[in-house]
Amino acid sequence: MSALGILTRAGVPEPFPDARRGVWRALLRRPAARVGLALAMVLVLLALVGPWFVPDPNLPDYTDQLAAPSASHPFGTDQAGRDLLARSVVGAQASLGAALLVMTIAAAVGLIVGTLAGAVGGIVDTVLTRATDVLLGLPALVLTLAVVGVLGPGFWNLVLAMSATSWAGLARLARSVARGSARRPDVVAARMAGIGPIRTTIGHVVPAATSQVLVAATLGLGETVLALGGLSFLGLGAQPPTAEWGNMLSDGRNTFAYAPWQLIGPGLGLILSVTAAALISDALRDATDPGRPS
Amino acid sequence: MGRRPHRPCRLRGRLTLAVVLRRLGQAFVTLAGAGVLVFGMLAVTPGDPARRVLEARGITEPSPPAIAAVREELRLDDPLVVRFARWAGGVLTGDLGISWRTGSPVIQEFVTRLPATLRLTGAALVLAVALALVLGAAAAAAPGRWPDVAARAVALVMLVVPSFVLGVVVLDVLVVRAGLGRVIADGTWATVFLPALTLALASAAGWSRVLRTSLLEARSAPYLQVSAARGASRRRRLRVHQLPNAAPPFLTMIGLGSAALIGGAPIVESVFTWPGIGRYTVEAINARDMPVVVGFTLVAVVVYVVMSLLVDLVCAAIDPRLRQRTSS
Repeated sequence: MSALGILTRAGVPEPFPDARRGVWRALLRRPAARVGLALAMVLVLLALVGPWFVPDPNLPDYTDQLAAPSASHPFGTDQAGRDLLARSVVGAQASLGAALLVMTIAAAVGLIVGTLAGAVGGIVDTVLTRATDVLLGLPALVLTLAVVGVLGPGFWNLVLAMSATSWAGLARLARSVARGSARRPDVVAARMAGIGPIRTTIGHVVPAATSQVLVAATLGLGETVLALGGLSFLGLGAQPPTAEWGNMLSDGRNTFAYAPWQLIGPGLGLILSVTAAALISDALRDATDPGRPS
Repeated sequence: MGRRPHRPCRLRGRLTLAVVLRRLGQAFVTLAGAGVLVFGMLAVTPGDPARRVLEARGITEPSPPAIAAVREELRLDDPLVVRFARWAGGVLTGDLGISWRTGSPVIQEFVTRLPATLRLTGAALVLAVALALVLGAAAAAAPGRWPDVAARAVALVMLVVPSFVLGVVVLDVLVVRAGLGRVIADGTWATVFLPALTLALASAAGWSRVLRTSLLEARSAPYLQVSAARGASRRRRLRVHQLPNAAPPFLTMIGLGSAALIGGAPIVESVFTWPGIGRYTVEAINARDMPVVVGFTLVAVVVYVVMSLLVDLVCAAIDPRLRQRTSS
């Protein structure tokens, strides 16, 4: 077992032997990973179908402000009398959706930049690699703050800022895969069969890089959820009245002394999501790195 | 460094002046790149800086001539390259520009708040290292047995509870109800413990796992078995082989982690109303006060780059293998 991997986003992932062969099976053999996957599935299901089964999360009820948990409001109500269970469930969609979006965008950008650098080489490689190195040498969370400062607070701006600052490690990974694949048997065979460099890259290099980048991006999912929650908590993400775990926590903090239940939904949601991500990424790292002592 | 704790130091070749200079050059390139990036952010931010400065000085509806005068004063109409050169020169001499919100120099606002942030992150760093050492050493002492399992569980809990959730609970339960510490943190050593602990937990969790892995790796190394076979005592093996070999990944974590602490400072400072530059920066972001945001970014970037430079040099000094590898 290694570090839980949610500390900083400065890490550079390393390629592992083969992403496609048996990662799932190796993952499912580990009890911790099974717990993590089950938890993740429950949370995603909750975010996807939950909103259909809860009342309107933005419906205020000024006769029932800051009500304690009860049969009609299992998580209580907030300062405007809105049902906190409904807000927590709908907030799951915003919080987890944002994290998945950031992961997808960062993986796509990293894949494109890295494959381009590795496959084209020459001046393109030098320029892209230098830019990637500069970005990797800077603290990602602070850069995200700065980009939000430029764009202004808001859900989409935060997603954009997080994506813009988290692709560099993935790009370096994709580049090393692309460079390493020049001598792979399937790539050599394709070249000898007269298939052009572009088709070889799309057909053989990109798939190999994609699986590696996706695994590496999954390893960072927990810290993405935490960072997004933290920045939203600071008021830099989704703006009221949109329900999102970070801004719900921020809403609840001033009245926490006499209405502590406001933290139940978003707090539990964040903790469970990050736990699921940590368990999965730990097992994933072990499964893809057979040489590491456990 | 979460994703890959075993990053060897970037320094290659013998630890000669040339190698040190090359690493210094790399740090300089990163800083220069950051400078361009950050100035770009300043330049593309919507809104006229001249108007913002005037509004900060209390003129709500500045007249066009007044705006033009300030544009002249700030020389905003010069070509971008000239403005960049002047800005970079200012940064090097400690001039971070004028706050768009208060109208006073950013550096002045920082100087009054920086000591509080340094106290907070310094205390958090010490706490995180101490916690990581205890947890990591306990886990590595008996892999697979109960101290290991317990340390892993504790680290997981420390990691997954967000600092802003923990901070809100700690503030209410320990400070307001139990009366430990003061509600309004004044940024002095007397009130630093709880915010620093909140800031330290997540980092300490990650570092303890890295320390455990590297201690175990160092222990299973062949040279250690040889050393044991030759009758070296357990303590000697720990001191001569295990700790020096486990140190570089751990030092790397701490070096880069100290920057992570600064990145986390805005959140914890906001929860505990800590009067540091982190909270000030969050206020600045909400007010779109870019010179302050850029100033904070520069401070954090410099700390990060300098720390990773120091870590690489120290690692190379500890571990000769990191200097002698020739391939890149």
